[in-house]
Amino acid sequence: MSEMTWQQLRDLDCGAVRALGDSWKTYVDGMLDHTARLRTDVIEGHLGVENYESDTATQVREQIGLTADRFEDDLSDYATTRIATSLHEAADAFEAEQGELKELVPLIESHDFDIEGPQSEYDVNLSGGLHQAILTLNPPQWLCDMVGIKKPDGFWDWDTLKSLFSSVDLYGTAIGLAGQYQDWLRAVMARAHDADDDAAAALKEMRENPSGLPPHLGATYDDLIDDYKDALSSEVADEARAIADGTSGMSPEQVNQWWEGLSDAEREALIAEHPEWVGPVDGIPTEARDTANRTLLDNRIDSLDDQIAAKERTLAGLDPESDAYERVKQDLDNLKGDRKDLSELQAIITDEDGNPAMSDKAGEQHYLLGFDTEGSGQAIVAVGNPDTADHVNTLVPGTTTALAGIGGSINRADTMSLDAQNAAPGDANATVMWLGYDAPDTIFPEAMQKRWADGAAEDLENFTRGLTATGQEGANHTLTGHSYGTTVIGHAATQRGVDADNLVFVASPGVGTDTASALGVDEQNVWATTNSLDPIQLTPEFLHGNNPIDDDFGGNTFHSDTGAWNDNNHSTYWQDTNQVGRDSIAYIATGNRPQ
Amino acid sequence: MDIPPPSTYTQAEAYAPMEAAAAEAVAALPDFPGFEWRLWSELPCSHNGVIDPNYVEVEIEYRFTLPDSGTPLVRQTYVEVLREFWSGLGYQILRDEPVHVPDRLDHNLYARREDGIGLWYWVAGYTVLRIQSGAVPISDPADIEYVPPSGGIRPGSKYDKVGKYFPEGIPEQEAVAPFESPDSYEDSL
Repeated sequence: MSEMTWQQLRDLDCGAVRALGDSWKTYVDGMLDHTARLRTDVIEGHLGVENYESDTATQVREQIGLTADRFEDDLSDYATTRIATSLHEAADAFEAEQGELKELVPLIESHDFDIEGPQSEYDVNLSGGLHQAILTLNPPQWLCDMVGIKKPDGFWDWDTLKSLFSSVDLYGTAIGLAGQYQDWLRAVMARAHDADDDAAAALKEMRENPSGLPPHLGATYDDLIDDYKDALSSEVADEARAIADGTSGMSPEQVNQWWEGLSDAEREALIAEHPEWVGPVDGIPTEARDTANRTLLDNRIDSLDDQIAAKERTLAGLDPESDAYERVKQDLDNLKGDRKDLSELQAIITDEDGNPAMSDKAGEQHYLLGFDTEGSGQAIVAVGNPDTADHVNTLVPGTTTALAGIGGSINRADTMSLDAQNAAPGDANATVMWLGYDAPDTIFPEAMQKRWADGAAEDLENFTRGLTATGQEGANHTLTGHSYGTTVIGHAATQRGVDADNLVFVASPGVGTDTASALGVDEQNVWATTNSLDPIQLTPEFLHGNNPIDDDFGGNTFHSDTGAWNDNNHSTYWQDTNQVGRDSIAYIATGNRPQ
Repeated sequence: MDIPPPSTYTQAEAYAPMEAAAAEAVAALPDFPGFEWRLWSELPCSHNGVIDPNYVEVEIEYRFTLPDSGTPLVRQTYVEVLREFWSGLGYQILRDEPVHVPDRLDHNLYARREDGIGLWYWVAGYTVLRIQSGAVPISDPADIEYVPPSGGIRPGSKYDKVGKYFPEGIPEQEAVAPFESPDSYEDSL
């Protein structure tokens, strides 16, 4: 785990880290010239068949060729993808957080707060001087302004008395502001540590798994060369497996570079032979993931059919009154439930001819980016191709969303896509329904807990980074959460960092932080809305933090209309009673800030 | 409450009055250039935070072509006309406000009728007229009848985006256009 302190981050020369990455890239270009010369000048030149013809000469030419191949692979996989990209990603991430720190630390100091505690859990507390100032009825001007009293200028005058009567407010306000700065600082350092750990993981994996070299020339060469060539032939598969397993240490950007470095034949073979290593992986382009996931979905449904048939045969041989019968029956019902849910998903994304279906409203193709039946089930479906879109809006649904009935959430994504088309004609847009996490099944107690959001944070981070890696340069990315989905976004943004230009919180119970500043996205691009009859606004702050519609949270709010007074107004945001919310989301997601 | 508010229509019953509302609005618009398309779609209805499979909201969208969407006639005059027209019919105007976006002045005009049908005229990049049913009990797809479109769209053409509801094709007797019109009015005015 990263042990970087906030002082080290503040003082870090990010330019030097980036320059180091640049120098590795330059080195790679130079070294590639050398391997080209090895082939042309040595293998085909001085050591060419015309000059040397013998078994030994053939072996030498082969060995040099294999060494050149290995060197080029290492230059690509290690020097470029792992070292240079890791350094660039780390420099970018550190620089972003350093910028926040340079804004935040002076604020902390100017308000007479102290940063205390270990680097993993910084506290921002009132300094002794600030305590004393409040206790001696001489609060600082900024605190008087925030509480709305005049700064006392004499003993026991009216202003001093008001200060005395307001001491609870003064303390509360100071502690509240310190808490916001603390949230902000912890989020900055959490993201910096995450970037540090990610870079370390990529480099560590490289160090611990050095690539093999061709065998030395000599008596054992003939015995060893076949093994070496066998290992080479499985190298891509081994890499793909490690990436899918999450043991490669590679970021989505690095995965994308690796994928683009494969030959067409290697990519096609992976999709056909091992769709499980392609479909769920962030950083692999959408078209490839979709193809792989559709195969996986077909296979899973076929597998469920086989399991259901087997269970039914088992059940037929059991005494209906026995415990074993009940257990098998329960298993059978679960399998049938999964089969039904996956069939419904398949029906949404597939047309009558078995081809990818177009969405009903936006008329965009559905892309399947992931699915799972574990827990409440998961599904990630894009309406439109995010890799070619100018605007990508990712919808994170909330409590009670499950694979069962996923059509409703995909329908919302389609509605958002149609709205975005109308808001920004001519721009390509895609909306992703990201249920890439196990959502709470109940409002109480599950939606009161943060563990579901914590469990989703890394996956959402990687998904957004994957969209950036595979998408258009400069594409406008928005993350829109509904209900607990906003909490998921908040936890991902503060703990890991998300690649998003805009955050939209619809009907939020809180996003795990008290301030928009902690989200790592320009506060001007943080938006929140809750209609006036939505009971979600009654969520106590100790559960998920300050509500993002509150004034002191920061960011922006936009209006959402209520449904009928006796409707459940937590779920009316995409219905006919809420045009203002629908069009506001469309404007934000297409880079047109509503004014 | 345990059930959604009662609705005047079922899903299948809603299409005819919704289309009549669209036709009524079109008839009130002067120098009408024609729509580019009609789209029938549905939105899920939620109850207590959970999508209720027994209810649905029908949305019908009529969209102007992009060139027409940018004309003062469509962006300004029609807002004024519809505001007066819907108010005159006793519809409740629930929203009537401009929206400033970079390089454009958009507008939202929303009215609702007593029977729960909503009418949303959204002046944006594209300008659309949306007719919305509110939550209605979902119907058997077989009970949904074809209703010819308004605004010069040829029934059953590729601009009449209702095919999902009629996989066997639009019933022949229904597919007859009420008047001869091209598939689209784009570039013809």
